[in-house]
Amino acid sequence: MVKFAHVSKSFGDIKALVDVSFEVKKGEFVFITGPSGAGKTTLLKLILREILPDTGQIVFDGEDIVNLPQEKVPYLRQKIGVVFQDYKVLPERTVRENVEVPLAVTGVSSDEWEARVNQVLKLVGLHARSELFPAQLSGGELQRVSLARALVINPKLIMADEPTGNLDWETTAGVMDLFEKINKEGKTVIMATHNERIIEKYKKREIKLKEGRIIGQEKVKSEEKEEEEKEEKPKIKVKVEEV
Amino acid sequence: MKIHLKTALDYIKRSPFQALAALFVLTLTFFVGTMLAVLVYSSANLLAYFETRPQIIAFLKDEITPEQVSALQNRLTGDVRIKDVRYVSKEEALEIYKQATSDNPLLSELVSPTIFPASLEFSVSDLRFAQEVINEVKKEGIVDSVGFTASLGGEKTLEDVVGRLRTLTLYLRIGGGIFVGVLAGTSLLVLLVITGMRITTRRGEIEILDLIGATPAFIRSPIILEALIYSSVGAFVGWLLAFLIWLYATPSLVAYFGDIPILPKGTLNLFGLFAIILVGELLLGVGLALSGSYLAVSRARRKR
Repeated sequence: MVKFAHVSKSFGDIKALVDVSFEVKKGEFVFITGPSGAGKTTLLKLILREILPDTGQIVFDGEDIVNLPQEKVPYLRQKIGVVFQDYKVLPERTVRENVEVPLAVTGVSSDEWEARVNQVLKLVGLHARSELFPAQLSGGELQRVSLARALVINPKLIMADEPTGNLDWETTAGVMDLFEKINKEGKTVIMATHNERIIEKYKKREIKLKEGRIIGQEKVKSEEKEEEEKEEKPKIKVKVEEV
Repeated sequence: MKIHLKTALDYIKRSPFQALAALFVLTLTFFVGTMLAVLVYSSANLLAYFETRPQIIAFLKDEITPEQVSALQNRLTGDVRIKDVRYVSKEEALEIYKQATSDNPLLSELVSPTIFPASLEFSVSDLRFAQEVINEVKKEGIVDSVGFTASLGGEKTLEDVVGRLRTLTLYLRIGGGIFVGVLAGTSLLVLLVITGMRITTRRGEIEILDLIGATPAFIRSPIILEALIYSSVGAFVGWLLAFLIWLYATPSLVAYFGDIPILPKGTLNLFGLFAIILVGELLLGVGLALSGSYLAVSRARRKR
């Protein structure tokens, strides 16, 4: 689904990412972890083509997004649902209208809007508050609006940048449960977080970043199996030779 | 489209003073534009009327035969510079005199047809030909003297009148054009400023839309639509005000100018003229809105 190959990115003298390589398979739930300034947000911005890498290749859904023409960038973003730490909801629009915006952006027929919006609002538990404005909602509710907005277009990938950064633990758990539920339904989720409690509780594959470098990375289960098989084969060969 | 229209209307509702400023300036522009368009139309008609209306009158000598008159009339009719050739007999001349002096019957009682000369009246297709036609007709043996329509005085006076009208029309067109141009420029600037302010105040929203995959056209649409609403409402209101004023003034103007067709004859024709002006102004308004908002949007994009 997402593949980084030797990606580096600098902002002046600051090296935000250095030779980063990893892969996220379809249906996976991956945590990008690390302290502030480790490069988590830069990594997400690269996937969203907000910025371009200095070197390296990024592939999303089989498409080289580094060389994607600028006019095709909106269509790349339409395949990705993004949840932001600061929610980024439109303050002058109701919950329902906020969730409708991506449908308008992607050109979904307005006849389908109501059913699709109702479905995601029920999923995130905001159906009863659909006519309220963001100023009338709590932080957790705003984050759920952001999640509903990300989900309504049925994206191939959900990306979340510190989605629980502004929430208390109880609300965090509620939001995380939602992400887990969405992942179980088959969606790929990449979440940047530095919240150790979340990482420990939800036990997902983790890509650890520090000062722009990957310092630890669990392999995808299928990759692990492949490598185990590779390691086992020579053993058999040796045994044969011995015999 | 529905969502863009709603967003544009929301923008207007949330910044009523900006909207009013834009509407006032655009209404003023199109009000003056409509008034000027009708004035240009009327002055052109007035000029055309005086250019073609003045009849050159060739007063004929008393002793001429009908054959001679007919020969000259045929020659004049065949001349492309001359139109509407008409023979006026002594009796008809008396009738014209009587009508002209109807407020003083004593004057007409004292005259007989014999003292009026028969004449050939005609117009020229363009006033530029008047002098050479007069000179040629004067040389005709049966012609006693040549003059312009009596009510306008002598030849020089008529030239003066038409000359003055031409100058006035020219000034009206140039002056009015400059004035409307300045107003249109001001309107464009106001639209540009308002669109620019809208982009600045909506920067956060634009950023969010950009991140969720909105195309530049999607982001621009409500901003351009808002400018289009200002310009089309401004054009319509400005036109309507001018239209009502002209409608109110039409009876007085028609009574004052009499036969001179400064406005189209018939209600339908008058409405037709105003409909053409409205369509023209709406197109101009769309042009102003599109250019103003595109300029502002591209300026904002360059800044990013």
